[in-house]
Amino acid sequence: MGRAVWPAPAGGFRELVGDPLRPVETGSRGAAAGAVPAALDTHGTTVIAVKYRDGVLNVGDRRATANMAIMFDRAEKVIALDDYTLIAISGSFARAMEIVRYLKHAFKYYSRTQLQEMSLDGKVSEVSRAIAGNLPMALQGIGAFIPIVSAYDPRTNEGRIFFYDGMGARFETAEFGAAGSGSERIRGAFDYIIRTKAPFREMPLDDALRECLVLLDIAADLDAATGGYAKVLPVAKTITVEGVSEISAEEMQEAVGSLPGGR
Amino acid sequence: MVYTPYDWNQAVGQRTEYIEERIRDGSPVVGISLPEGALLVTVHQTQRKVYEIYDRIMFGGIGNQSDLETARNAAIDFAHREGFQRSPDDVTLQRLVGSALSPAIKRAFADPFNVPFVFRGLFVELADRREEDSFGWINYDGEYAFHHDFCVIAGSLEAENEVTRLLHAAAPGVSTLEGGVRLALEGWATGKIQARRRIDDETEGERREDPATALRDALSTGTLEAALLERGTRRESKFRLLKPAETEAAAAEYR
Repeated sequence: MGRAVWPAPAGGFRELVGDPLRPVETGSRGAAAGAVPAALDTHGTTVIAVKYRDGVLNVGDRRATANMAIMFDRAEKVIALDDYTLIAISGSFARAMEIVRYLKHAFKYYSRTQLQEMSLDGKVSEVSRAIAGNLPMALQGIGAFIPIVSAYDPRTNEGRIFFYDGMGARFETAEFGAAGSGSERIRGAFDYIIRTKAPFREMPLDDALRECLVLLDIAADLDAATGGYAKVLPVAKTITVEGVSEISAEEMQEAVGSLPGGR
Repeated sequence: MVYTPYDWNQAVGQRTEYIEERIRDGSPVVGISLPEGALLVTVHQTQRKVYEIYDRIMFGGIGNQSDLETARNAAIDFAHREGFQRSPDDVTLQRLVGSALSPAIKRAFADPFNVPFVFRGLFVELADRREEDSFGWINYDGEYAFHHDFCVIAGSLEAENEVTRLLHAAAPGVSTLEGGVRLALEGWATGKIQARRRIDDETEGERREDPATALRDALSTGTLEAALLERGTRRESKFRLLKPAETEAAAAEYR
């Protein structure tokens, strides 16, 4: 706490903790020259984000797999970064959780030192940097992860959804986003729902939740790594002007029960 | 030049006098533990005085604003570094105040070649149960103490004792947020008057001042600032500054 050398805080958490986003050295020279065994890397799949009438809904199955093994069927893949930001993770569970921990601390550190919230643009850019920083690991065949970031934008008074590619490029979507191994299998189904029923953003929460559960169940049918809702209830969280809220197990059970063939 | 133990003693005395003169007229910060959460209340003129430090920790201080900022940022850095590298559960008031801040403040105070910190701070840690909430009082010389139920920092130790007597008698009976703010305001006025009275004693003799009048004067030019670490919230952030509507009922009689 020496006064002469005490730097003015700029809110940068990465500098404080010595760049926790640097890739972990595996000693490998890439997939072609001795790749890391896939069984070492537990993956989470599949996560969905859709806009609905009051904000954004995130739904994720609970399965985490390592190669052909189901490692865990209670994985938490939809996580609040702060009161108005959700991240839904797919891909390397270890790396994703570490980066989620980093992002949570980074956003809070910024707001507590600077006495103002980090802008939404600042937050989604920080996620981009985290993905880009992870690229050397991804190129070694381990540690790749792709998130979806959802937020409630107080300036425009609406929910917003951002998805990313493996190098950290971010894209904003008008209606929905999905990531994980099951997401590609159901991509067309989102458009089918929008064209034949209604845009997600016009749906009440109950309808949007039911559509997401059906989509997740289709993904589970078509992708072995996706858990669906038959055995373990998915997790679902919303962001509205009131902030982040979790849909309770009872509400989720009720929604599943209302589906054709639901329990 | 030879620096003798006498010089050191005298330097410490002068530094103490220098600091106490500067914090004596500071605005007290009163902390009370409630069923709803832990509350900090003060009245400020220009700058905020109560801040969030970490998930379950907040801070209020009196003294030089830049010194408060230094202490605040040091506390935030320590808490976030520890919380990230270990766990948020490892960020405790004991570690923050006792291990991280106190030795550094003591070093600054004892260094005769540096300007000392003009600062007295009150840290609050929210627990799952009211009786386990902690208050960490820390002084400009690095001395610190932990309390439960309530705590106060004011312009002088005598003023703090006076407020402590008041809170000791009344705080256990308070169970609502409005009641907490009301009692804290009463404590604030008592501390302010007591610290001011000492100045008056030295100059123009004792002058009796009514707490209600002191509060009315303070609120006519200043801003009531109250922050709560909420026990039962499902929000990510447990800290929130109370809205004027939430404190108005308690402050109305002083408007």
